[in-house]
Amino acid sequence: MVEDKENVANGEQVSKKGAKKLAKAAKKAEQKAETATAIAANNAAGDSAEDSALGRYGLSEMIQSKDKRSERNFVAVHELSSHLEKGLLWVRGRVHTSRSKGKQCFLILRQQSSTVQCILAVGDIISKQMVKFAGNIPKESIIDIQAKPVSVPNKIESCTEQTLELCVEQIFVISQAKAQLPLQIEDASRPENADDDGLNIRVNQDTRLDNRVLDLRTPANQAIFRLEAGVCRLFRDILTEQGFTEIHTPKIISAASEGGANVFTVSYFKDSAYLAQSPQLYKQMAIAADFDKVYTVGAVFRAEDSNTHRHLTEFVGLDLEMAFKYHYHEVLHTIGNTFTAIFKGLRDNYSREIESVGQQYKVDAFKFLEPPLILQFSEGVAMLREAGVETGDEEDLSTPNEKLLGRLVKAKYDTDFYILDKFPLAIRPFYTMPDPSNSTYSNSYDMFMRGEEILSGAQRIHDPEYLIERAKHHGIGLIPPKLRHTSSPSRYGLPPRTPAGGIGMERVVMLYLGLDNIRKTSMFPRDPKRLTP
Amino acid sequence: MYELKTLLPQFDIKLPTCMYELKNVSLSADPATSISSGGCSASEFSSSINSRNSVTCALDLDILGRQIQHLLKQDDTASIAMRQEKVLQQLEALKAQLGKIRADLGVCGKTVQHTTAYQNGGLKEVPLQDIVINGHPNFIPYALLALKNAWRDLYTVNVKTFTHSTMADIGPAAREFEAKLAKIPVNNALPNINVTLIWKNCEHTEMISSPTMYVPIYGEVNVIRYLGRVGPVEYRYEGSPLCNEIDLVLDICYQLLRCSTHKAQVAMVRLLDKRLQQQQYFGGSQMSVADIGVYSSLIRIPAITDKDLTPALLAWRKRAKLVTQI
Repeated sequence: MVEDKENVANGEQVSKKGAKKLAKAAKKAEQKAETATAIAANNAAGDSAEDSALGRYGLSEMIQSKDKRSERNFVAVHELSSHLEKGLLWVRGRVHTSRSKGKQCFLILRQQSSTVQCILAVGDIISKQMVKFAGNIPKESIIDIQAKPVSVPNKIESCTEQTLELCVEQIFVISQAKAQLPLQIEDASRPENADDDGLNIRVNQDTRLDNRVLDLRTPANQAIFRLEAGVCRLFRDILTEQGFTEIHTPKIISAASEGGANVFTVSYFKDSAYLAQSPQLYKQMAIAADFDKVYTVGAVFRAEDSNTHRHLTEFVGLDLEMAFKYHYHEVLHTIGNTFTAIFKGLRDNYSREIESVGQQYKVDAFKFLEPPLILQFSEGVAMLREAGVETGDEEDLSTPNEKLLGRLVKAKYDTDFYILDKFPLAIRPFYTMPDPSNSTYSNSYDMFMRGEEILSGAQRIHDPEYLIERAKHHGIGLIPPKLRHTSSPSRYGLPPRTPAGGIGMERVVMLYLGLDNIRKTSMFPRDPKRLTP
Repeated sequence: MYELKTLLPQFDIKLPTCMYELKNVSLSADPATSISSGGCSASEFSSSINSRNSVTCALDLDILGRQIQHLLKQDDTASIAMRQEKVLQQLEALKAQLGKIRADLGVCGKTVQHTTAYQNGGLKEVPLQDIVINGHPNFIPYALLALKNAWRDLYTVNVKTFTHSTMADIGPAAREFEAKLAKIPVNNALPNINVTLIWKNCEHTEMISSPTMYVPIYGEVNVIRYLGRVGPVEYRYEGSPLCNEIDLVLDICYQLLRCSTHKAQVAMVRLLDKRLQQQQYFGGSQMSVADIGVYSSLIRIPAITDKDLTPALLAWRKRAKLVTQI
């Protein structure tokens, strides 16, 4: 290389023969530059000569499915502990953080919600340049590394894999991220400890939602949405096992389904249509059509302008409906047991997710009883009175009372999930079946998680004559036209049924994990103020 | 009383001219006439005193005394008494009227309950709290089953069992216990107590009755003591002369359950034998909560075999088994 440069310099000298003086000066300058480049080249050449790790690191060429590279044995980060002392392996992940310090570089590799510490130290395999390269990879870039897992004496507190680290031997950048990110994953995943003295940078909920792709990469969010998928899967599995059939109901409907006025209107060719507020009517029709037990999982729309921590305008409803033989408790127990089974499934199969959510948001584990605790409404009122709350026998529970009752039940029975049965007839709609033994109460129930209502249901009057009688008793002369369809299928003979009402999947996950905002459990939440992303 | 000096010089107040002048109402009433007029109402009376004060700016005790004397002498106190009588009568009538309205509306239930509660020697009857017992499946509170059997014809112990989320599996022994509990028929005609038994990953058997007064009771024998207190009269031992004896035996059970070595356990069994001597049951010829305690504790410690028991204890165990049926 050095010789090449000299040749070029000589050639130039020959071309400038005419002006000797100039040439002399030029020669001097040339020589100066020459020596300088020579030194630089020398240095570079020396470096590359010393760079024993050449080919072990660098930017990978664009993956165009050229090679299969099936010889590379990739291992998931959370399975690393079983590959200890078994030699080299490949891991693909994102650079969570990387800092190089002299001859060492510590790099935390993240794969979904698992993180592991990687170390590069200058030695036989790794060169100085390689360490420098590793230290300069922008955060969030995707990299492939070949490394050897080694157990460490001291626990690594900052990673999920606390007992081991990876000694890197090869490192390739597959996809480089921009150096500047709208939010730092580190900030977004910082634990919410009030007493933390360290850095206290938080990412605002709106910033998170605006940059949801980045935000979703935090270990807690990874875990939340994996757990949410688990809730859906368990709901389906458990009900299918019990002989339920999954049905799909239309979301564009011609009339408001639940009597309320809060529906979204959409234009439908020359006419307008509504977005379904609940699959209620269609579940009922399926029951009337002898499907016996049905459930559905799907989007539900509510045009309520309520900006609270627990309301969304679009959410996923888990709905079930079944005909029963003689007693509505058959349904109550089915729903209650479904919940308990979901909780059990989450406890047994999703403990890793629950733990990683717990690392960011400090909450107590969800507790429940098996079989689910069923309290009578009157017992609940008695508990509240004992705690010094004045509440009437036939008075509905106010939100603070509801929360207080949740705390009382938790203190006594140590459960976050319970069912309140036999609500007073007076506070329920006219189509609710009265309790046969005491007409001030009704065959209706609410279910609570962490003191918040998640589901409300009741045995509906299936006998048309009695329905009209009850309507008259309530001062409703005629059944309002909007609700008329609820009675219309009964003309074809309707089995006794208990609409279970919709369970909001997001709300269940929020309460199960003890999070404070439903937007944390909806991947792309829709509320009155947000339509994007 | 001490007499206080007037602070302001009399009638020497210079009023600002920017104010309207109002007639002095109190001055218009002559104090002398008000006293002599006799049948003055309370307001007039006070105003007359005020007027006096406004003149002298000090409390004239003499006048006040005279007025009181005068009032007492007057027979209009009698008229006031009569008026009060009349008002009371009117109130009674109103109450009766309201009561009738209530009865017509069918909402009289609550008031009737209240009056009976207060007639009961002024004591308020509080319904018995449902109780929650948290137990670990490794330390099954057999006493519940024993009591349930022993009280079969006296008192209903209505036990519902739950498994807490901290327990993945409760094991065969606890399941068998649950099944046995469920087998005993519930007699709703008898007085009863609702017990919620929760299998939980907890260190001690603990009992909670009220969440607001959260004072858990620890240990199976203490739960027995509580149930013995609220249970049927036949098993209430606090009034009996054997009270101390029964407590002592229960304390031995408590210690027995805490013993870690077999040697210590045998020593406790010997103590029990000493208490039993040649009696039919612990503390006499009648079955008591002490027997329940000992019986259930011995089941919980399988390390103690028939070999460790004395003949007297073995005989007792046979007798107790007939009652407890475990």
